[in-house]
Amino acid sequence: MLINEFGCLRKGDKSVLVKNLRVPDENAQLDASKLLYHIASSINARLANAYTAAGADETLVIFDCYNDEPSAKDHERRRRAGVGATEYKLTLNTPLPGREAVMKSTSNKTQLLRLLCTYDLPADKILLVNHMDCIVKHEEADIISYMLEAARGTHHTEVAEDVQSVKQFTSELIVEAVVRCVRVINPAMGGGLSPLLPPGMSARFRVGMSLAQACQDLGYKGEIGYQTFLYSNEPEIRSLLMFLVEKLPRESAEASDQPAGKSAVLQRAIAAQIKAQLALPWLPPNCRLPLLCKTQSAGPSLSFRAQPLSLPYSTKSTGKTPPREVMEYRRDVLLPVTAQPSHQGAMVASLLQQHTAELSAAQEWDSEWNSQGLLSRLTPEEYRSRKLTRLHKRIKEQLRSASSDPSQESSSGVSGSSSDLAQLLLSFQGSAPGDHLLPKGTHFTHTQKFTFTQDPGVLVQQMAAVASSMPLGGKSEGEVQASQQEELASLEEKLQQVALHIDQLTDHMKQMNLTVAQVTNELKDRELGNQEKAGTRLVKKQTVDLLPDAENNLAKLQMLVEGSAQRVVSLASQWEKHRTPLIEEHRRLKELCTNQDMESSRQLSEIKELHEKIRESAEKAKKKETLYKQLIAELENLPKDVSRSAYTLRILEIVGNIKKQKEEITKILSDTKELQKEINNLTGKLDRTFAVTDELVFKDAKKDESVRKSYKYLAALHENCNQLIQTIEDTGTILREIRDLEEQIETENGNKTVANLERILEDYKAIREENIALASKVREG
Amino acid sequence: MELSESVQKGLQSLADPSLFEPSGFRALTDAAFRSLLSGHADRRVLEDPALEHTERVLLKQCHAAATTCILEGVKHNADQSTISSCLEDLTFDAERIEIFSKSYQKHKEELEGVLANIGTQPPHINDASWRLQYHMKNGHVHKVNEPFYLLSLNVENAGLEGSAQDINFNCTVEQLQDLVGKMKDAAKSLEKASQM
Repeated sequence: MLINEFGCLRKGDKSVLVKNLRVPDENAQLDASKLLYHIASSINARLANAYTAAGADETLVIFDCYNDEPSAKDHERRRRAGVGATEYKLTLNTPLPGREAVMKSTSNKTQLLRLLCTYDLPADKILLVNHMDCIVKHEEADIISYMLEAARGTHHTEVAEDVQSVKQFTSELIVEAVVRCVRVINPAMGGGLSPLLPPGMSARFRVGMSLAQACQDLGYKGEIGYQTFLYSNEPEIRSLLMFLVEKLPRESAEASDQPAGKSAVLQRAIAAQIKAQLALPWLPPNCRLPLLCKTQSAGPSLSFRAQPLSLPYSTKSTGKTPPREVMEYRRDVLLPVTAQPSHQGAMVASLLQQHTAELSAAQEWDSEWNSQGLLSRLTPEEYRSRKLTRLHKRIKEQLRSASSDPSQESSSGVSGSSSDLAQLLLSFQGSAPGDHLLPKGTHFTHTQKFTFTQDPGVLVQQMAAVASSMPLGGKSEGEVQASQQEELASLEEKLQQVALHIDQLTDHMKQMNLTVAQVTNELKDRELGNQEKAGTRLVKKQTVDLLPDAENNLAKLQMLVEGSAQRVVSLASQWEKHRTPLIEEHRRLKELCTNQDMESSRQLSEIKELHEKIRESAEKAKKKETLYKQLIAELENLPKDVSRSAYTLRILEIVGNIKKQKEEITKILSDTKELQKEINNLTGKLDRTFAVTDELVFKDAKKDESVRKSYKYLAALHENCNQLIQTIEDTGTILREIRDLEEQIETENGNKTVANLERILEDYKAIREENIALASKVREG
Repeated sequence: MELSESVQKGLQSLADPSLFEPSGFRALTDAAFRSLLSGHADRRVLEDPALEHTERVLLKQCHAAATTCILEGVKHNADQSTISSCLEDLTFDAERIEIFSKSYQKHKEELEGVLANIGTQPPHINDASWRLQYHMKNGHVHKVNEPFYLLSLNVENAGLEGSAQDINFNCTVEQLQDLVGKMKDAAKSLEKASQM
């Protein structure tokens, strides 16, 4: 919305338009009134200076229109107009009245405009756009001027010197203006469009088509096609340009119109704060007042260091009362939260951190519960406990895999201490109750065992050796050394022997272990075989017992078999009897179960939807509340002087105008009716008089020859008069037709039909030539 | 402004007339503000004659909630009306809202200062002095003939209040120009930021 509800281009938006169209700075926009009032003496002299003082090589002068017809800028003008503005009679040589006086009265402005237009300007430098006729309204003057400037500033296209209004826009200018606008509105869309019209006719046609498509994509409702650009007519181009300018994005205006989000508000607040601080003068530290100290001198800064706080309540809502000891601690020992951290900065930081952590935990739980918890159909507590056990299991598994991995790796390696430890742990875990049941220990355990069992013996021997050497203290050192050497050698020998012995023993052990295992296996096999044999022996023994009375026993056996078969059948029938109702029951229950399942899932989804809705509405409500607050703040900031009364006054005036016009229309209508009535009256009278005269004269005509003649004249007269009236009426209709035609001609002229037709013809010829050239090329090729 | 469940619970019990009498409420509110603003950790902040009859655990809980609420309010730059509506939601009666928001308004600026002091601040430049020197030759080159500047920036250090320090360095003309250009850029962007 570049143009407000009154159809006015706001001042603030002009700069946006300039920025978007990238009008270079050297093309200055100057308000004429500004120029006029900066230079002294009479209007004549002022004008001469004013036009040249603009300083540029070329000057475009665009005039607003101040006609009597209503304009979109009326309300602005009315706002400017004060009460009792005096009207002046201005000529080229009168001194210029004060600016206020001119600005406040439309008639004064119009006079000044006329003067400006009639002034003899140096034609080579200054270009008057739409003088005198003043077709272009104020808002349009702005837009046209910017378009021209934009086109001129960036590509230095030769804007024809006689461009005076939209009417005289050439195709090139139109295409360029439209492309630039499209680029600003939608960079992606405008990127593929070239602002320059290519020379070839078919290429031009294509450019026109793509431009039309782009405009339609932007939402232009009017009729548009390649002809709009190539064979322009004024109203179409005007409406298209107005549409495009309206579409131009306005960053600043949007910010003020649309209530922005939280961040925008924050940014605005920051900006305001910066502005306020920038406005204050800087003072050296010694002269600072306490007020300035806050912003200008750097206070003591502490980094954000949070410490864990011990709270007098548990953050997890378990619902259980904590144990008595905890309660006692909380009551008697626990410090208030503010006294817990070591210094003040940490206190604030820790409190904030604690709170944020709680909030985010709650949020996370909320989202998890909504996404997964609800689906699991558990109460929150159950869900939590299940999650806890799951996590425990996971941790255990992780730990186990982590501890087993390295042991497997290093057991294959050479060094064994850590692996041995792990194995030891494992062996403790696996074989704690009965160590001896596990025949295979590690090498380490064995050696350990042996060294521990051997050690005392060795120690005793050593002690004995030492004791034996003690009394012989008197011997010379050499002897002692020799004896020691001997001793050492013997001990080493012993050690080797022992080690050998140990090795032998271990080997032996292993062999024995192996044989033990083999023997146990064998034993088990044998026992199994024994049992089988005992079973067969039993059966055989029974059959042997039964053999003597074979017949009887056979019959008995058969009876037994039959009885048992019958019993089986009866049992089966009984079972069948019980089974059917049970199965039915089972089916029914199953069905019920699935029904309930479905029902519950439906309800679950409903609950979910409800949750979603609740959240959405809460968000909406919050947003609306902030919006409301913002709007209220904006309302307070709005200037109060734009009162309702001005608008109502304006509306009333418009209504009065309309009433007046209506009265006039009714007056004219009644006039016309009266005239019609008079005409009817007169024709009736004429007819009647004629009839009477005709009758009278006809009666007399039989008697008198001269009267007959007069009767003939009368008839002729009547006919002539009729003809006359007919002619007058015809003239009237023709005049009306002429007026209609003239209007049509005017509109057609407005559409530049002739020129366009000529151009179409030329373009047609060009295309034909192109085609011929192409065809000849093809033939040559 | 969003408050966690435990803080809300604490504030709700603070609003409960059966748990806190008006005098107790006033004392606890004062204690909360005092404990936030006093520079040292006061472990006897809650030992007030008006609060003697109240259960200690509850007291500590409410104190923690109140201090957190105050800090959050200041952090979000909440005005008096926001605080009031927030307390209203937590079933505070009009009198207590009045007491709380009044002391909030009174201490807000001070608390803002406390919060603003968290963080690191670069030193502020107070003054600058300079000297132009001319480099004629050095051990390697016979003719250098370049001017260079000795600059001394007097800065006010953020960490220690009121202590002025000097930062000395030398630079060539180009470096100085670069520095000046950067400073101008900074000033310009600051201005731009103020015209949002």
